[in-house]
Parts: sequence; structure tokens; C-alpha cells
Amino acid sequence: MSGHRIAAITRRLLQGFRRDRRTLALLFVAPLVILGLLGYMLRNSATPAVGVVNEDSGPLGAVVASALDGSTKITTTNIAASDGDAKLKDGSIVAYIVFPSDFTQGAQGGVIAPQVHLEGSQPNAAAQALQALQSALATSASNRPGAVRVQPEVTYLYGGPNLDTLDYFGAAAIGLIVFFLVFVVTIVSFLNERSQGTLERLMASPLRRGEIVIGYMIGFTVLALVQSVEVLLFALYVLNVHNAGNVFLIFGIEALMAITAVNLGIFLSMFARTEFQAVQFIPLVIVPQFLLSGILFPVSSEPTWLQYLSNVLPLTYAVNALRDVMVKGADLTWSSLQLDVGVVAAFVLLFIVAGTATLRRRVG
Amino acid sequence: MSEQVAVEVDSVTKEFGVIKALNGVTLRVRRGEIYGLLGPNGAGKTTLIRSIVGLIAPNSGTVTVLGRKLPNLDVLREVGYMTQQAALYPGLSVEENVSFFAAIYGVEGGVKDALEFVDLYTRRGSVVATLSGGMRQRCSLACALVHRPRLLLLDEPTVGVDPQLRVELWEQFRRMAADGTTIIVSSHVMDEAERCQRLGLIQYGRLLAEGSPSEVRSQAGTQNLEEAFLKLAGEKKES
Repeated sequence: MSGHRIAAITRRLLQGFRRDRRTLALLFVAPLVILGLLGYMLRNSATPAVGVVNEDSGPLGAVVASALDGSTKITTTNIAASDGDAKLKDGSIVAYIVFPSDFTQGAQGGVIAPQVHLEGSQPNAAAQALQALQSALATSASNRPGAVRVQPEVTYLYGGPNLDTLDYFGAAAIGLIVFFLVFVVTIVSFLNERSQGTLERLMASPLRRGEIVIGYMIGFTVLALVQSVEVLLFALYVLNVHNAGNVFLIFGIEALMAITAVNLGIFLSMFARTEFQAVQFIPLVIVPQFLLSGILFPVSSEPTWLQYLSNVLPLTYAVNALRDVMVKGADLTWSSLQLDVGVVAAFVLLFIVAGTATLRRRVG
Repeated sequence: MSEQVAVEVDSVTKEFGVIKALNGVTLRVRRGEIYGLLGPNGAGKTTLIRSIVGLIAPNSGTVTVLGRKLPNLDVLREVGYMTQQAALYPGLSVEENVSFFAAIYGVEGGVKDALEFVDLYTRRGSVVATLSGGMRQRCSLACALVHRPRLLLLDEPTVGVDPQLRVELWEQFRRMAADGTTIIVSSHVMDEAERCQRLGLIQYGRLLAEGSPSEVRSQAGTQNLEEAFLKLAGEKKES
């Protein structure tokens, strides 16, 4: 191993990127666009519109309707019963709730029976409307004089009442974006090295295979670290993603993910001949990892046999580590975090060895 | 092996699946000589050159370069290799490309000399992607000789180079050879073959004939190399 030769490879790589504005934009602008969109959508999503029809001859309908008005989950408008179906059809509301004329009377008889008409094609919006109705009913019922009050006392081990979807996804997303973009850029640049004939030249030089892989790894890691800092600062200070842990620990995990992506990219580039074939690895390698990593659906909620698969993918451990640190405030004294970080580091070593071993084979 | 021999290829056979790219090739290249590998496309010239730089391990036979038997990583420090396509980094400038290869071979300096040698010093700041084919070819040559190799392998170096520069490059090759550099050059251009000290005619992975251009001509009994080549290739086919 020669430090000079490794440094030459790294320097060459970075010199090339200096003039490659498109790739620089992919590395440094794309993450902000993706994270920004994600943040804006999750934080500022509009509440579903729900119509309310109060035909109740007694007082209860109005009480529940005003409780619905106060809900943060939905936006209510008073409508006429005859307009309800037309409004569902034209999409201006996702549901309408009717308090029939005998609503109060029924309640006195022990049956509270509002009628709910759902548009039905948007499960999330429908669930939100139903939740809002249920809590409105509960509030109204417990506000009645002499009623039994339901008042659970809630305490949080991690997070808190203000932890939202962006806090949950954001923690994993910052790692995932770095992983994905670094992977794409690595696999394509290493493939170029092969297709433009320079790899053949390098193999005919005194360079050792390991020097090529390490030189590449350092070059891309430098880029990936800059990207990680950018993504992290954006997530923490622009999007205000919840963070209970040490910023440097998050950065360390991100860096480890970037190094995994670099080496996975080098390794997989051996199995592609053209850039198009390299892009075909994205649905094959990246998307399943993304689905199985637990970023969308917790691994523990997967069917058992899928859990086995999730548990042999590096991304699963990385996503878990980032969430543990950012949401739960984990530090390196936690054995779960030690395991996650250890497994990701082991994958890095595995990919370095695999990448180096396959290098000679595809040149000769 | 004598000190006078730079490259010794001894009954080398290389198969790619069912195709025998090299079929028992034996040849010796002397130090300081310009040795031409002549043959049609697909004859095995590139395979032979790649086995001399250690990119290909032969199925049988041995290759000895500058007194060391391949595979040997150290001897590659003294070998320069110019591939058929101009293998360069298109996003780097001419100078950055040459400096990169200098660093890989562990030499400092020499970049300016190499660029002047191929007449690209004034274009050193140009990004390779913007260069013409001939300029890329010259830049590629500069990358191959920046570390002053004792053995230089050139795989069709003058493809896409205009006639005037081709003459200049050959003049440079001759000077390098006079300084003791051994040059192996493949070509299918016959007037280039005339400039070599010795020739090896290759077809179907075999060495058909070897010798100086005049020896090859008299061996075939023809006036020029082109006819000699066609005649010798034809005889081999019939036998």
C-alpha cells in the first residue's frame, strides 16, 4: 500500500467532480429538495374537509358539532343533507356526518347514533374523520353534568406529545438520502472508469487493487461527509426535526452509511457493463432495502419471514441507529446502538473485501 | 536470458471460451528496438500486448519482461502502456491527466517534458472532453511515457493522428529507442511497419513470420510488405 498512490486516486476523483456540475447538484442540491419537500408535506398537510349536517331536534347534535369544529384533525363546514353526496363526489369533502332528528332522543335511550358518510377511496382521510368524531363524542359525553369523566394520564418515555411524523421519518430520511445518492454516484463513476478504458490502464500500472478501492472510498467519503453535514444542518435547523441525541454521533452514523454505500457501489459496478445496467440495480438493490429497512413500516410489524430478510440488510441497522439517537437520545453506552453500529461497520468491511476481490476478475 | 532481451514470450496460448486468441506464440524483443506487431483486426495483437503488461494471464506459456517473469507488479513500474482507445479522464485537463499517471507511477516532474514531447504543452489547461481525437491520442501517449518507461507498449498509437504528426511521433519513437527504450507497437498500417526495426506478422493468434521489413519481403518474395503479408497469410491458411 502506498499513501501517495491512494492520494493520487482520491485527488483525481475530486478534480473530476469540480467540473461536473450535474453530479455536484445531485449530491448537494437534490438532498435539500427531497428533505424540504418531505418536511413541507408532513408538517403542513391540509386537514381533510368534513361536512356536518345537524338535524337534531334536541341539544346534543349542536354540542357534538361544536366539539368537531374545535378538532385539529379536520376542517368542518355546515352543509345541507341534500348536498352531501354531490360534495363527496366532486371531492370538496371526504366525509359528512349527519346528526339525525332523533339524535338526542336516541342518546337518552342509551344509543348514540350519528350517521357517517365516507368518500371511501382515501383511507387516511377517512380514518382522521372517524377519529375526530370519536373524540368529539367522548368530549361531549364527559362534559355532560354527572357524566363519568375519562381522563387518562399520559407520560412519554421518549419523544413527547409534540413528536410528529416528520420527526419519525426525518431521522431515518437523512441517512437514507445520503446512502442513496452516494450509491448512485459511486456506481456510475466506477463504471465510467471501466468503460473509458482507464481502469485497464490502472491495472497495467503498479497500483494494487486495494489502493484503487481505498482511493475511491476516501474520495467519495469526503464528498459524502460534506453532504452529510449539509443534510444534518438542514434537517435540524431548517426543518427543526426533533433530536434528543448527540449531533456528532448522528454524523458518525451518517458517515458510516455513506462508506457502506460507496463500497456497495464499487462492488456492484463489477456486475454492470453499462450505465443503464447500473441504474437497474436501483429497483433491485435499493428499493427492497428501503421497504425492508423499517423506515416506513417498523421491522417488528413485518411478517416473520420478512423480518429475517430485514435483519440481514445494512440499512435496517442504520435506520434503527439513527432513530435511536435522534428520537430516543441513545448514546454509545446503549447495547442496542453498539449492535447497530457494529453491524453496519461489519458490512463496510465485507463490501470492501468483496469489491477488491472482484476487481481483477472483470478486467482480465 | 541475455541482458539484450527486453521481452521474451514463450509459447503463450490464451483462450477466450472456444476462441484461441493466442496459439503458441513465441517471440523475443531486443532492448532498444522498435518491434512492430502486424496483423489484421482480431489477429491477437491486443491480446499479446495485454499479456505483456500482465493484464491477461496466459493459459499456458510464460512471459518475461525486463528479466522478470510475470506476474510481477514491480516490473510494471518500468513499463508504459498506451491502449487502443485513448483511455483518459474526460473531465480532467490534459495536464491533470498526465500528472495523475505520473503520481500513480511514483514519479515527480516529467509532466512538462511529456507534454512537450507530444506537442500539447500549450493546450495543457484544456479539458480532455473538448479535445479532438488526435489530441486525445497524443495526451494518451504522454500518459504512457511520463514515467520514462524502459519498455513502451503502443496499441495502434497513430489511429486518428494526422500524417504530419504521425511522422513527428515516429521520429520521437526512434529517438526514444536510440536512448535505450524498447518499443513494441501494433499496427495494421503498412507504411508504419516499414519504420520498425523488426516485425512480427500475426494472424489467427499465431506468429506467421518475423524479421526486419526487408527480410519479411524477401521471405515472401514480394516488393512490398502489404503483398508479403497477404502472401504469407494465404500460405498459412492453405497449409
